[in-house]
Amino acid sequence: MAELTTEQRRALWADFMRVNTEAIGITKVDLRAAVDAIDTWIDANAASLNSAIPQPARGALSTAQKARLLALVALKRYGG
Amino acid sequence: MATGDALLEFHPTANEPPASNYAALGFRNAQAHLAFDADTNESAVFAGILPNHYAAGGINVVLVWRATSATTGNVRWQVAVERQNDEGLDTDSDSFATAIEATAAAPGTAGMVQYTTVALSNSEIDGLVVNERFRLKVTREANDGTNDTMTGDAELVHVYIREQ
Repeated sequence: MAELTTEQRRALWADFMRVNTEAIGITKVDLRAAVDAIDTWIDANAASLNSAIPQPARGALSTAQKARLLALVALKRYGG
Repeated sequence: MATGDALLEFHPTANEPPASNYAALGFRNAQAHLAFDADTNESAVFAGILPNHYAAGGINVVLVWRATSATTGNVRWQVAVERQNDEGLDTDSDSFATAIEATAAAPGTAGMVQYTTVALSNSEIDGLVVNERFRLKVTREANDGTNDTMTGDAELVHVYIREQ
C-alpha cells in the first residue's frame, strides 16, 4: 500500500492539532515532519509487521483489522 | 484622553461570528475563550461605539490569548476595522479596511496568557470618528506558513482597545 497523499497527511496533521490537548513544544512544521516520517516508516515496514503476525491471524485478518490492532497496541503501550 | 487610556473591551461572548470559518466559543477552567484553528484562517467580530473621549491619535488593540497545548511557535494575528457611519455604509455586506498584522510567541506554559498589541494609526481605522459604530475583526492567519508556526488552537480570552 502506498504512502498517504500530501492532502491526507495535511488533514491528519490538522486533525491531530485539533484534538491534542497535551503540552507540545514544537512548531507546525516540526509536527508535519513527524507525520510524514511516521507514514514513511509504516510504509517501509508494513511487510515486516505483517510477517511478525503469526498464523492463522496473518492470513485471516484483513489489512484494516491489522491496522486497528497496531493502533490499539501502540496506544496501550505508549498512552493515548 | 491620554495615551494608554482604555477605550473599549470585548469578552469572547460578545463575538458576532462570521457565517463561516469562525472561531468557536469554548471554556477552559470555566473561563470563556474563542478558539482559532491552526490550519484554517478563522475570525471573530466585535461591534462597538468609539467613545467620545477618543482623541484621534490611533488605537492599540490588545489581544489577550493563550495556547491550547503549544509551548512554542508564533501566532500571526490580523485586526481590521469596519466603520458604520451615519447613512454611509450598507451593512448587508462586509467593508473592513486593510487588516493590520502582528506576530506573537506562545507563552512557555500553555495555560498562561499572552498580551499582543496591534497598533492601528488613525488612518488605519477606516475613517472611524468618535460616537460612530464600528466592527473589529480579529483573525488568526493560520495559513501564513512563515509567520504562524504554533501548533494547535490559539484561545482568545479578551480584547481591549487603548488610545495610542
